[in-house]
Formats: sequence, C-alpha cells, structure tokens
Amino acid sequence: MKKLYRNIAFVTAVFILTLTAMLSMSYYQMRQVSPLETGVLETLKELNETNSENESLQEQIRALDLLSRKAYFVKEGQLKMGIYLLLGMAAVLVTCLNLYYKETKNLPEKDFDPIDEWLTKSRARNYLSWAAIVALLGGVGLVVFQNVGTKSSSDENTLVEIPNEELIADSVEVKIDSAEVIVDSAELKADSTEVEEMPELKISSKAFRGNNSSGKSSARGIATSWNLISKKNILWQSTIPKHGYNSPVITGRNVFITGADEGARELYCYDVWTGELRWTVKADGISGSPSSMPSVNADTGLAASTVATNGEQVCAIFATGDVICADMEGKRLWAKNIGLPDNHYGYASSLLMYGSMLIIQYQNNTNAQIMALSAKTGNTIWSKGAKDRIAWSSPIIATLGGKSALVVMGNPAIAAYELSNGSELWRVECMSGEVGSSPACAEGIVYGASEYATCIAIDGATGETLWEASDYLPECSSLAATKDLVFCATSYGMVCAYDAKTGEVKKEHDLTTPFYSSPVVVDGKVYLFSNSGKAYIFSASTFDLITSFETGEKTFATPAFTDGMMIVRTDKSLYCVKKN
Amino acid sequence: MRRTLLFTIALLASLQAMCVARFPKPDFSSGYEYPDIIHGAPHELFWNILDIVLLVGMMGLVVWAAYRKRSRAIIFTMSLVSVLYFGFFRSGCVCSVGSIQNVVLAAADSGYHLPLYVLLVFLLPIVFALLFGRVFCSGVCPLGAIQELINVKNFRLSRSVSVTLSIIPWIYLAFTILYAATRSQFLICRLDPFIGIFRFGGDIGVMSFGFVLLVMSVFVGRPFCQFLCPYGALLSVFSALSWKKLDITEKGCINCALCGVSCPVDAIRAPQSNRTKEERRKGVRRVILMSLLLPVLTFLGAMLVGSQSDALSLAHKDVYLYELLLSQEANPELEEPLEVETFHALGGDMAELKEKVDAVRSDYVFYSHLAGALIGFVIGFKLMKLSLKRGRKTYEISMARCTVCGKCFNYCPQNLKKK
Repeated sequence: MKKLYRNIAFVTAVFILTLTAMLSMSYYQMRQVSPLETGVLETLKELNETNSENESLQEQIRALDLLSRKAYFVKEGQLKMGIYLLLGMAAVLVTCLNLYYKETKNLPEKDFDPIDEWLTKSRARNYLSWAAIVALLGGVGLVVFQNVGTKSSSDENTLVEIPNEELIADSVEVKIDSAEVIVDSAELKADSTEVEEMPELKISSKAFRGNNSSGKSSARGIATSWNLISKKNILWQSTIPKHGYNSPVITGRNVFITGADEGARELYCYDVWTGELRWTVKADGISGSPSSMPSVNADTGLAASTVATNGEQVCAIFATGDVICADMEGKRLWAKNIGLPDNHYGYASSLLMYGSMLIIQYQNNTNAQIMALSAKTGNTIWSKGAKDRIAWSSPIIATLGGKSALVVMGNPAIAAYELSNGSELWRVECMSGEVGSSPACAEGIVYGASEYATCIAIDGATGETLWEASDYLPECSSLAATKDLVFCATSYGMVCAYDAKTGEVKKEHDLTTPFYSSPVVVDGKVYLFSNSGKAYIFSASTFDLITSFETGEKTFATPAFTDGMMIVRTDKSLYCVKKN
Repeated sequence: MRRTLLFTIALLASLQAMCVARFPKPDFSSGYEYPDIIHGAPHELFWNILDIVLLVGMMGLVVWAAYRKRSRAIIFTMSLVSVLYFGFFRSGCVCSVGSIQNVVLAAADSGYHLPLYVLLVFLLPIVFALLFGRVFCSGVCPLGAIQELINVKNFRLSRSVSVTLSIIPWIYLAFTILYAATRSQFLICRLDPFIGIFRFGGDIGVMSFGFVLLVMSVFVGRPFCQFLCPYGALLSVFSALSWKKLDITEKGCINCALCGVSCPVDAIRAPQSNRTKEERRKGVRRVILMSLLLPVLTFLGAMLVGSQSDALSLAHKDVYLYELLLSQEANPELEEPLEVETFHALGGDMAELKEKVDAVRSDYVFYSHLAGALIGFVIGFKLMKLSLKRGRKTYEISMARCTVCGKCFNYCPQNLKKK
C-alpha cells in the first residue's frame, strides 16, 4: 500500500509540474495578447475610417470583434479550469505524501543529540556579524562607486561645455540689423488674442525627419485621410513666398522652413495653429557671401537643406554657404558664410542641433568638413575635415552603445563621431556613387542605403557590419527604422521593409511612382509621400498598406509631426493635417 | 437548508456585482443604446463585521485549543477554515500582514483616513499576541494556514543559519515602512506570494514564487512565516512579552526531546547547562562590546540606507516619471516611453512635477534613515541576544518563534498518557 501511495504521489507531482508549466505559458500568452488589438482587426478599423460607407466591412469587423472576445474568454475559462485541476492534484499529492509518511511521522527524525545551544548561538553570532560586515562593505562600495560615477559624468559635461564658452569667434563679423526681420505685425496683432490662447505643442520635430533626424515621431492621433479641396482634416494651408525642397521643422508653436531664389534667401516662421506667416529673416549682408547665386540643379534648388532648431535658436543654411541663426521671435542672432560649396547639383545636406551645438555636414568637392558651431554665437566648437567625396546626405544623432553620437553617411563611408569633439568612433566603407540618402538608427544599429551601392546594417557600438542587402535601394529618400523593420522608398516606385535583424525583404510594394520624400514612423504607422503627392500610410509592424490617396500637390519634402498634427510642404504650399 | 440556499444565491449575486469591464464594449453604428449599468448595493459593512467576528472567534478558539485542550486537530481545522474563508473567499484582503502599511501611512500622512476595520485587523492579533502569543499565525492567518495544511515533513535548517535568516523579515518590514510612509507603494501587497493563488491570477513572477514556497512548505515548516513575514517579526516581539506562556504539557516535562524534533519552526528550546565553558570576564566583555555596537550599528544602518534615498525614491511614481523625463531630455533620439508621452499629452508641468519630486525626496531622506536605523538596530539587538547565556532545565517554548501550530502536543508522551 505504501508503494502505491508513493507511486501516486510521484505521478501526481509530474502531472502538477507539467500542468504548471503549461498554465504558466498559457497565462503569459494571455497577458501579451489584448483581444481587440489584433493586427487584422486594427487594419480593418483603419480601412473603415477611410471608407465608412462599406457595410460589409463593418459586418466583418463586428464578426471578428465578437470572435476575438469569445476566443479570449474561452482561453481564460480553460486557464481557470486548469488552476482548479492543479489545486485538486495538489490535494491528492499532499494526501498521498501524508499517507506515505504516516507510519514514520511520529518518530523523531534525528538521534537524540542535545544541541549545544551556546555553540549554536556563537555560530549564529558569527554568521550574523559576517552578514552585517558584508552588507556594510557592499553599501560603502556602492556609495563610493556612485560618487565616482557622478564625478566622471560631471567631468564629461564640463568637457562639452568648455568649447562653447572659450573658443574664439570666427573672423566673420556679423551685423545684426533688426530692420531685416520682417514681421507681419499688423496681421499678428489682429490674431494675437486667438493665437495666445492656443497651447504650445509638446511634441517637436526639430530637424529634417524629426528630432535628431531619426525618421520617427512620438506624435499620436494623426489623421489617416485628408482632402485639400474639401478641406477635410485640413487645419490650414498657406502659400510659401519662395521655393525650396527643404522640409518643415516644428517647435513650440512655430513651424520653420526656408525658401530662396536669385533675389533672396529667407527663413520663414509660421504659426502651427493658424498657418499665419509670423516672421521672415533674410540671409543677406553676410560677409563672404557670393554676389551671384551658384549654378544648381533644378531638382536641388538654392534651399534644399532643412533648418534645425533647439527650441531657442533656429538655424538655416543655403546653397551659397550662408548660415543664419535666429531666435524664436525672429531676431537674427548671427550669420556667417562658411564658404561657397563646390557642389555640382547644389548644397543639400540638412542641419542638426545637439543642445546648443549646430552640426553641419559641409558637402563640398574640395574641402568637405563636419563642423560644430555654437548656435548662440556661431563660433566654431570643432571642425573636422571629411575624408569622403561629395554627397547630399544629412547627419543624424544616434544612441550608440548607450551614448549619443553623430552618424554621417557619404561616399564611400558611413562613420560615427564623438559629439563633444568630433573624434571618429568607427568608419565603415561601403557606399559608392552619389549618396543622397541619410542614415537611420534603431536599437543601437545604424542603417544606411544608397542607389547603386548597398543597404547595410552596422552595429553602432562596434562598427561591425551585421548584414548587407541590395534588393531595393533609395536615391534621395532616406531610411526609417524600427527595432523590427527598416523602411526604404526608391525613386523607381518600389517600397519595401527589410528585416532589421537579417536584411531579408519582409514586404515590398510596387507603387510605380518615384519617391524623394522619406518615410516617417509615427503612431504605429509609416507615412510616405510620392513625388506626385500621393500619400501612402503603412502599418509600421507589418508594412501592410493601410491606405493611399492623391493629395493633388507634388511633394518632395518629408512631413513633420506634432501633437495630432502633420505639417506637409508641397511644391506650392505648406499645410497642416489635423483631425476635424 | 433554505436559508443556506438563499445565502449562496445572495453571495453569487454579490460576486457578479464586483465584475468590471476589461475591454471596451463593442461598437455599434445601428443606434443601439447600452442599458445603464446597475451596481448592486455593497455589502462591505456586513463582510467587514463578519471578518472581525471570525478573526476574534478563531483566535479565541485557537487559545482554547492550545491552552486548555492542547489539541492540534482544532487548530488544524481552523487553518482549513482560514484558507477557505480569509484566503479563497475573501481573496486574502485585507489581511493583518498588509494592514501594517495602512497603519504606517496613516501615521505618516494625516490626510490618509485609516478605516476602523483595518485598524482592528492590525491591532487584534497584536493584542492576542500580548496575551497568548502568536495565536493569529497559528490557524487564523491564511498565509500561514495554507503552508500548515500542506506540510508533510520537517527538514530543518541548522539553527544558526535559521537565526541568521530571521533578520530578513525585519529588513522586509523596514522597506515596507519606507515605501508605505512615502506613499510609494504597498510592498507587501505587491509581493504577497499567496494572493495570486487565492485569487486564481496575478503577477506571474510573484505567483511562481508562491508556488515555490508552497512546494517548500511540504518539506519545511512554514518557510514564509519563518524567513519572510514582516508581521510575524512584529508579533514575535509582542509574543515574547506575552502574559500567558504556552506549555507543551501540564503533567511535567520528562525531557524526552520528542517535542523538540516535532516543531516545524524550531521554537522549542532544549534543556542545557552551558556545556561550553568560558571565562565569565570574557562573556561580560562580549556583552559590553555588543551593547556598544548596538548604537553604532543603528547609526551605520541609518547612514547607509539613508545615502541611497535618491535611488530608493525611484519606487515613487512621480520620481520615476521625473527621471524618465530628464533621461528623455538628455537623449531625445530615444523613443519616448509611454509615461513621458502621456505626461506631455496631458499637458504636464515639469516645474510642478519637480516640486512634488523634491517633497517626495525629502520624505525619503527621513524615512530611509529610519528604515536603515531599524535594520541596524535589529542586527545589533540580535547580536546582543546571541551573546547572552541562559540555563534551562526542561524543554521550553520560545514564545517569539512559536506559531502555535500544536504539533508538539501530539508528540508529547505525557499528553498521550493523559488522553
């Protein structure tokens, strides 16, 4: 009989262990899944938003919604039943063990060896003393370690700050003429009460393709359909005084773009709530600026570079090499010419800001450089001669090995630099031809691609190449990346999503229309504009096409996103998409 | 019978009323209107009164069973009732163990109203401990009872190790006080290993820990009560000073040692006449040294834990959010965490948050010093206690450790003789 109890106890124990493992897995799965957040259901709901008249689609959504709920609760019921079963089996196990040990239960487990209590106490005292000493030493070590860590990090900060303060100003003297700041004060006054009431936006887009040029935005609630004719989901649309291919940038309540022609080069600030032109700052009267405009390709123009801001200053660069910087009220703070770029298509690299540091990837046939200027004064903080040939790419700031670094792409290399002093962290030579696309970064991996070269993934911490692919390569459009996918739009109409880990093409769409604008990942979706102005919205997790429609205006710039709004620059206008 | 049936139906109806919607309701475009949700009137007052009545009644029964009848059977039955009622039926809440946090919070924050029910749940076991020892731990606390029910064998740790490990509940208590007083979190509720089992669901990590403890309970007596329970640590102090001391037998100990090996929590002290000899002077010197060490350890503990107050304060949601915001500001290229996004979306004010964080951090400075001092003091006190020699002629129960499970009663041949 005793053997029987032992065997039952053994079998029950095995059963309990197996069931516990299964229930834990099932429970874990259930915790991961929300029944109403399945990809298919969400996609169908998105479709329903753009096509609310489709009754069969709505029926399908309802059926799927019901099915998802049912499936969830059936699984929950099974889990509960499993727990009851587990408790029952546990009771059987304990009973069997009790019966098995019944006869020996009332016998002492040890020989009668009276414990020497003083010896026990002495040992316990020793153990406790040692535990206290170890805890004390550990604690003291932790405090020391923390203090050393704090000290070294404050040293690091000082290293970055010193050049800003101490470096001597460039020889270019800048005359700031307040008359140059054209503020449409009459108009501004008329609407000032209304404008003041509107809140400043919390989510910014401070450079080309968003903050740090990342190709991502944390904005939410962006409309997935709009119409420039019927004004559906259009908050405002404004004309732009001068032409340019640069993209909008947003901070606070300001939207910045630039425009230029033979006559003038200008930085514009629009109000994000009304689309009203708040002020214009001209890039003129700059010492060293060429008297006539350089010859540039029509596809590039004189204002192809996107401005950058840090929320206090906004800086712009033009094909002439003129750099200007203004404050948020349109007061020109400084201006300088960094040299007329020898660039056969025209200067196109966008600016970037890191705190109060302005970063310029100065693309030039003769003396290409990467330079960091003080956004407050225009003084050079550091400058580094680039080894690469001319390109049209823009820099990004990425977190590599837990630290912010500058990543630039050119011909032939993608390279990472220390932000504080421009020292090179790593360099991977992999590009060729005319590099117009910019890199992207996600989860510490740097991605870069250019037509006739390659699409490459580089470990940002070590500079080691992780994979290369050449299925689809962009010409002007830049990559955008999430931890799972890398999005690429080509100038021959193919768009695709590479697997971020392997480089395998996970999904592709032949859209038969060229793309110069870059994809931006926002609100779980990827927004992309074709040159003809057709908007495409994909799912960021699957790269399924959610919707697409013509906007009616050619679009080469990349849109900027903020709280519930998207600002799009077309070849004619600037408009704001916001759900009505 | 009919009354029982009606009672069961009323019980099920009240359970239904507790249900909450977990997902958004289905969308209808047909103009269908949802009926209003009707909430059943809460019966909490009734249940609260019943809880208190049962708590007192069961502790009284345990006192009667232990002091008068010396019957393990009654105590075991109480354990079963406690697990079924306080555990599964009342979902293990409010329990006396967790009520420490409410009491601490009420003491630290005058804005927090402590319900009388919770105060009674906290105080009654202490009052009983002062009178009769840890009768609450015996068969009334569902956390102890569930371990008691499934215990089969007692493989005991060496006493010196278990004495050293008994410091853990005090550390747990110190951090519980710190986090409750600073309104950061109710640590005991969050880490309660058995609550998930009573409720058939909870945090997978904590539940797994609960299952591990239960499996251990089969072969080791009450591991949670011995090495983790902060309320047990508190009760042990009152129990040591209790008015009535529990005897294993009325008929006089014959020093057979059977009770000693039967005790699952090693609470029975064997007779001894100090076999290890040492110079009296040396012993006195040690006691003096330990007495001097007590304030030193208290001070060091306070300084050490106090120095970590900033790191510890991250457990507070405002401090955590503030640090997230700062980190996002320093690394704007990183994807925004949901908390930061929500803060911005709701128009959160950084200056306002900073003010809150400063207040929380100043609270942390005080309470982390207090928690450290408590830990240091307990270590010092234990060391001092371990330096004292005491002779004993018969087997005696250590009231501080004894959880009144009644196992020793059945093992004692004198008690059997009586029967």
